[in-house]
Amino acid sequence: MLKMHFKRGCIAAMILLISQSVSAEVVMVVHPSNGDALDSKVVKRIFLGKEKKFPSGTVVTPINQSADSSVRGSFDDGILGRSSAQVSAYWSKLVFTGKGVPPKEVANDAAVIAAVAADPSAIGYVDSASVTGDVKAVPVN
Amino acid sequence: MKKLLTLTAVALAVSSSVNAEVRINGFANLVGGITSSDDSLYGYDDNISFSEQSLFAIQVSGDINDRMTATGQIVARGSEDYEADFEWAYLTYQATDEISVSAGRLRMPLFRYSASLDVGYSYHWVVAPSSVYDVPFNNIDGIKVDYSGYTGDLEYTFQVTGGKIENNFTLAGQAAGLEVNNVIVGTADFTYLNWKFRVVGARGKTTFDIPSLEPALGQLGQIDPNLQTLMAVQDDTGLFYGASIEYDAFDWFVAAEFTGVEIEDSFYPDETNYYVTAGIRSGQWTPFITYEKSDLNNTPKFLDNIAAYPAPLQGPLTQLIVGIQLPAVSENSTTSVGVRYDYDTNVAFKVDVSDFSDDIDESNDATLVRFAVNYVF
Repeated sequence: MLKMHFKRGCIAAMILLISQSVSAEVVMVVHPSNGDALDSKVVKRIFLGKEKKFPSGTVVTPINQSADSSVRGSFDDGILGRSSAQVSAYWSKLVFTGKGVPPKEVANDAAVIAAVAADPSAIGYVDSASVTGDVKAVPVN
Repeated sequence: MKKLLTLTAVALAVSSSVNAEVRINGFANLVGGITSSDDSLYGYDDNISFSEQSLFAIQVSGDINDRMTATGQIVARGSEDYEADFEWAYLTYQATDEISVSAGRLRMPLFRYSASLDVGYSYHWVVAPSSVYDVPFNNIDGIKVDYSGYTGDLEYTFQVTGGKIENNFTLAGQAAGLEVNNVIVGTADFTYLNWKFRVVGARGKTTFDIPSLEPALGQLGQIDPNLQTLMAVQDDTGLFYGASIEYDAFDWFVAAEFTGVEIEDSFYPDETNYYVTAGIRSGQWTPFITYEKSDLNNTPKFLDNIAAYPAPLQGPLTQLIVGIQLPAVSENSTTSVGVRYDYDTNVAFKVDVSDFSDDIDESNDATLVRFAVNYVF
């Protein structure tokens, strides 16, 4: 059992290594009706549960990607500035103190785009190559 | 069993309202340890044990409406034979974006890691430093008001907590009861870029119930009831204060925390504790080092009072007054080195070695090896 987990862990680590060398370029995506300008600080606050509204004042629903997606790794490292394990340790602190609920996680870029296209309050991130006309890509600086 | 039923009832009550979302989370720390031969530390001895600091917990929370959340946490601790206990059960009302009010059984916001003290996954240690974190007043029945906000890069949280504490503890191996009434705790937390600062102050009317000390206190009372009142912890003002500082550059971090306890007009010695810890995060590995110190070793209190009594009484009085204070006296320091390995985003493995040094009686010195699996879901 443990052996199998280790094997899986090794494969996951290999995939991670490979995908990191490809290094996806991450862009934020919002509903086409959303006119907010975003900077990386606001995005960081939103995805760490510190900010519950867009700069315009409307409620925000962040959409995360599951931990095994390569885009998640790039987002955590690049925008949140910490590893996925650290982000998860951060959330475990908030969850078990009733202070916050981590963003909903979906499996991949396509699922993020579907969720964001359907919800004017949503914000997610995808590989820039995955962006479609159903959502609006927002540059963050 | 009854508790599980209660939990289910809570879950059902919350989920019965139409669009409520019930979240079930949990965490587990499996901690094993063994000391060097013939030593003992934190309940471990030279036979390997898994029960001293292991725990399993389930948390159920549900949104009652847009602004109200109910949270219950059941914890089963190895040190208590894995008997499940409702350690937290509270309602939170989000009054505004900045202010929330919680009421029920809560964690006392005493330390940097108070809130997630039981969630081993949330920190690098195998177990949070005992010198600072191992206090019998970690939970409170009461109410807490939280105010948080930010300006620019400065984030701040202020908390005021009030209520009542009842718990059991051991003093020098003897069973004791603790009751603190009219507890009031104030905290201020600041985060500025990579820095974190925190200060806390608390007070409450404190009463100890220590059966093994009663005979000696009774003898003191026969000489002078005032002395018995002076020495006993009976409705006496207890003070707690603390501060912490942390710098986290993500690739490495260093943090320190300091706490003190005073119970005026009592035999209990003034207490100061601190730790300093540092670690490096390198991929999935986090090697760390911690030095901690606990000091309850002062000159005995109230010796000045003895001179007022007739000479023949002074000998027995000195014996009693020093003797009653003795069980609480201690001074020790511990150095630990260890490593955390992030196996997955919800599983961490850890191992550490602690070198405990008793600064009063070096025959209590001990070396302890612990390893842990932390899991959150």
